Amino acid sequence: MIDPEELRTRARDLLEGGQVRAVIGYRRGTRGWAAEPVVITRSEEAQDLVWDPSCVHNLALYLVQDRRRRGVLRGPPDRPIGILAKGCDARAIVVLMQENYVQRDEVYIIGLSCESSGMLDERKLAGAAEGIDPQDLEAVDFEGDAFVLSSRHQQWRLPAAGVMAERCLECRNPCPKVHDTLLGKEPREQERRGQALTPAMSDPFAELQRFEQTADSVEARWDFWSRQFDRCIRCFACRSVCPMCYCEECMVDSISFVVTPDTTAQEKANRLRWIERSASRSDNIGYHLTRALHLAGRCIDCGECERVCPVRIPLRLLNTKMERESRERFGYEPGASVEVAALLSSFRDDDPNDFIR
Amino acid sequence: MSEDPKTTYEPRIIAFLCKWCSSAGSDLAGVSRIQYPANATPITVPCSGSVSPQYILTAFRKGADGVLVSGCHLGDCHYLEGNYLARRKLFLVKELLEFIGLEPERFRMSWVSAAEGAKFAQVITDFVADLRPLGPQDKLQGQRP
Repeated sequence: MIDPEELRTRARDLLEGGQVRAVIGYRRGTRGWAAEPVVITRSEEAQDLVWDPSCVHNLALYLVQDRRRRGVLRGPPDRPIGILAKGCDARAIVVLMQENYVQRDEVYIIGLSCESSGMLDERKLAGAAEGIDPQDLEAVDFEGDAFVLSSRHQQWRLPAAGVMAERCLECRNPCPKVHDTLLGKEPREQERRGQALTPAMSDPFAELQRFEQTADSVEARWDFWSRQFDRCIRCFACRSVCPMCYCEECMVDSISFVVTPDTTAQEKANRLRWIERSASRSDNIGYHLTRALHLAGRCIDCGECERVCPVRIPLRLLNTKMERESRERFGYEPGASVEVAALLSSFRDDDPNDFIR
Repeated sequence: MSEDPKTTYEPRIIAFLCKWCSSAGSDLAGVSRIQYPANATPITVPCSGSVSPQYILTAFRKGADGVLVSGCHLGDCHYLEGNYLARRKLFLVKELLEFIGLEPERFRMSWVSAAEGAKFAQVITDFVADLRPLGPQDKLQGQRP
């Protein structure tokens, strides 16, 4: 596993040498054991950086926010911005570069390999072992194929597979392919598969398959999804946390329609509204399906949308469904390469055609 | 005075027709006096590739019982590759709609050229026949205005 000290040294050197103008990373948050994203600009701050199983956030989101801010400042960046990137974060950055949203020379990617481990799922923690109260925990750490959780008085060593985030169990490339410097090792295939963390490791769409086995009819799937969509409160947390949702204007809330005292009622009424913001079933379906389709071929399965959902809608299912279809039918893998044409702006002669009359 | 809804139910189809082929095909069906059900509301679009998934979702959400997208045969696209792009995009829409539990019969694609009036009539006839047993689509539909 990566020594956090190595990470701090690397970030400090980059900032001191002036190679980067800032480093996006993780530091210890205000909530006990959980890490929080941070942007550091001074080399002294590098000592705050951490690397542990609570570094769940996809930092590519902050790259998007940096790009937005630069859009306001209008000046080209003089130096690249450094960013810590796990396998999933790096895939997200690749998609952003593929879409020309950020340029390769604007980013300095410090790749972090999760090796054969992954990130902690806080929801799985509750009830994972006797006597653990997530509120009391002060630190979590990697240790081989286990996580070590420490509170003030006690330590627990839990098998990682039991409390690891589902997306990490299904992760295909925990080691960033595109990077400027890499910390940690590339896990060998046998190591990952053979370590018997869980059978899911060898099966990238395990959760999707489990769902399809239990809900194998149209009625069963509708029964499931209608209940999920009914719960949505339209807080848009999934959109806010998604590094791919960087549109200036979203279909669900128009910001370019400026209402002034001169705007007539007719203009307001005739404004184009594809999806309303109200949390009705029909609008929720419109929102979530639109999001799934806008992410088709772009979602790199960082699982953040599902993690932040306050009502626990299994959003990853929608996204992995799209991912699996594009992989199996179109041979497309999101975030694999900057040069490849995007899924929906390319085609092949042998794309599925049998569903068309 | 209640009538059996099964006998009075007429499926409402929204048909997005490419202006270069399927739209002309539907015209040909008309001028050839071919009889086919009047359930489809045609919307002419510049190309099947211009049909956004949003159109399809919105059609369902506004109460369509079925949505048809019809374009040119492969290789015949006026814009060279619009129908190839449409095929890929709308395949994903179809998979997603099935995945959340909409009946797969409700969304359909077809390639109909300007010379295939008879095929257009057949596509609509088949579609209506497939939709009738399903009954009204009330899954994605919002409240009626």
